[in-house]
Amino acid sequence: MKLELRKIQIKDVVFGEKMEVNGGVLSINKDQLVAKLMEDHRVKEIKVDLAKPGEKTRIIPVKDCIEPRVKIEGEGKGFPGVTGKMVPLGDGKVNVLDGAAVVTIGDIVGFQEGVVDMWGEGAKWTPFSKTFNIVVDIIPVEGLEPHVHEETVRIAGLKAAEVIGEAGRYAEPTHVEVFEMGNHAEESAKYPNLPKVLYVEMLISQGLLHDGYIYGVNSQKILPTLIHPNEELDGAVISGNCVAACDKITTYQHQNNSAILDLYAEHGKTINFLGVILTPELTTLEGKFRTCDYTAKLCTMMGADGVIVSEEGYGNPDSDLLMICKRLEKNGIKTVLITDECSGWDGMSQPLADTTKEAVAVVSAGNVSHVVTLEPADRVIGSAKAISTLAGGWDGSLSEDGSIKCELNAVIGATSEIGYHNCTVKLY
Amino acid sequence: MSYRIVTNNPSVRESYNSNNIIFIDGSYEDVLIKVRDLVHSGVELIDSPLGASIRMLLSPYRSILVGTERQAMNMDQILIIEQSILNYRTLTQRRKAEPEHANDYAVVDKELLKASIQAYEDMNCPTHSKFTGGEFLETRA
Repeated sequence: MKLELRKIQIKDVVFGEKMEVNGGVLSINKDQLVAKLMEDHRVKEIKVDLAKPGEKTRIIPVKDCIEPRVKIEGEGKGFPGVTGKMVPLGDGKVNVLDGAAVVTIGDIVGFQEGVVDMWGEGAKWTPFSKTFNIVVDIIPVEGLEPHVHEETVRIAGLKAAEVIGEAGRYAEPTHVEVFEMGNHAEESAKYPNLPKVLYVEMLISQGLLHDGYIYGVNSQKILPTLIHPNEELDGAVISGNCVAACDKITTYQHQNNSAILDLYAEHGKTINFLGVILTPELTTLEGKFRTCDYTAKLCTMMGADGVIVSEEGYGNPDSDLLMICKRLEKNGIKTVLITDECSGWDGMSQPLADTTKEAVAVVSAGNVSHVVTLEPADRVIGSAKAISTLAGGWDGSLSEDGSIKCELNAVIGATSEIGYHNCTVKLY
Repeated sequence: MSYRIVTNNPSVRESYNSNNIIFIDGSYEDVLIKVRDLVHSGVELIDSPLGASIRMLLSPYRSILVGTERQAMNMDQILIIEQSILNYRTLTQRRKAEPEHANDYAVVDKELLKASIQAYEDMNCPTHSKFTGGEFLETRA
């Protein structure tokens, strides 16, 4: 499989007559974009705004972030299985609007959070303060069931990324990244002495606002499955998770999964990267046993020497993370976990909801309970009401001058458990 | 394939057969405590007691699936529920209620419960798929 990600560096975004990229400036025809998204009869109104790095702009409540792209060679238009006809992904040439992001907002339920500040303290914590954001506010028709509302917002975001991605079809890339890997037999013959490493990516799979999709299939319904890293980099994995703002994996982060990119970078040098296993995080205990046993079995069958496991969310998924770790270590497979901590304002509480002695190599992506103060914004894109919700979880968090004290928990991507964020990690 | 729902969510109580409901007129923590008592008496814990996101820990409502029969005490499940109560207290000690969002929390709790029941039934139903084979697709495509 060979995937070329042809990165077109975006330096600014403006509204204009055409959908195009000219000299790094992304021009968006707002009417065309709105008309496309209004084709869905469940959509009542679409508002489109732009937010640029450094502006005193706050975006809230963010549902998903998506990287706009267009496939110029090979199969796969949009997001196959979701917005496009089903084809396998992972091969071909893709023009990527690097530095741009579609950011969807919308009140699906009243207590939604997820803030992106484009300046100041808030910007420090979210990777999406550095992207030129095309913010799409999706207002559905009245009377939709919550899960239909969620689906409407999710699909509109993906379509917006597809429409905007078209702007890059004829642009010249600033640089090209190539991801190529043969089958296991070929790669293992090439690198017989390198340790074989698998990446297990866990996905929240629990129902309304807590879902992930693979080629459009709800991950609640799958057994853990093996996927080529190129497929995920090419858009096979979609976020339907609208909670846990700090550590949900947005679609953008799937498209640019840091764990995959780092493992790819070491492939053929220090490791033989075998691929990705996507594992659902279910709610029932029996379901958890099934997926954890199955994940460990797949890793063992594949002959992995080492496995990196990343979590999504906090709470009951901690049990899955540690159960997978326990099983892998018992099978003699060295295991590294990537998670985040919920260790209180002072960082002193037990970081995970579960524990196991086999978890000896753990990377923390940050403390979700860490408190930050966000200054008042000049402009709010989205719902001003959501700001009081953001601050509403505990006493005294919204001060008179309008600044908000909140936990990192509310900030999009602040403690990303796949490492796509701004925190660094120290070795202890 | 039988279960009961321990819940303090009035909207769940209205939607399911009352024989399947153990309604708690109390808080999220009271639901956890009732589940703990049941698990100590040998009732199976079907659901993981905590949600998958911090936000849902602020929910005033929680619905948890348990079994219907008393069996031998399961030490792992006792540990899970006891640990969950401790974690719940730590995570919510600085929180305050959000009554203005109570209805939305009730909706999401009910939807998550629905997914959980579906998952439980899928796993326990011997003929969960009516699809008998690929011959139709393969030969007539």
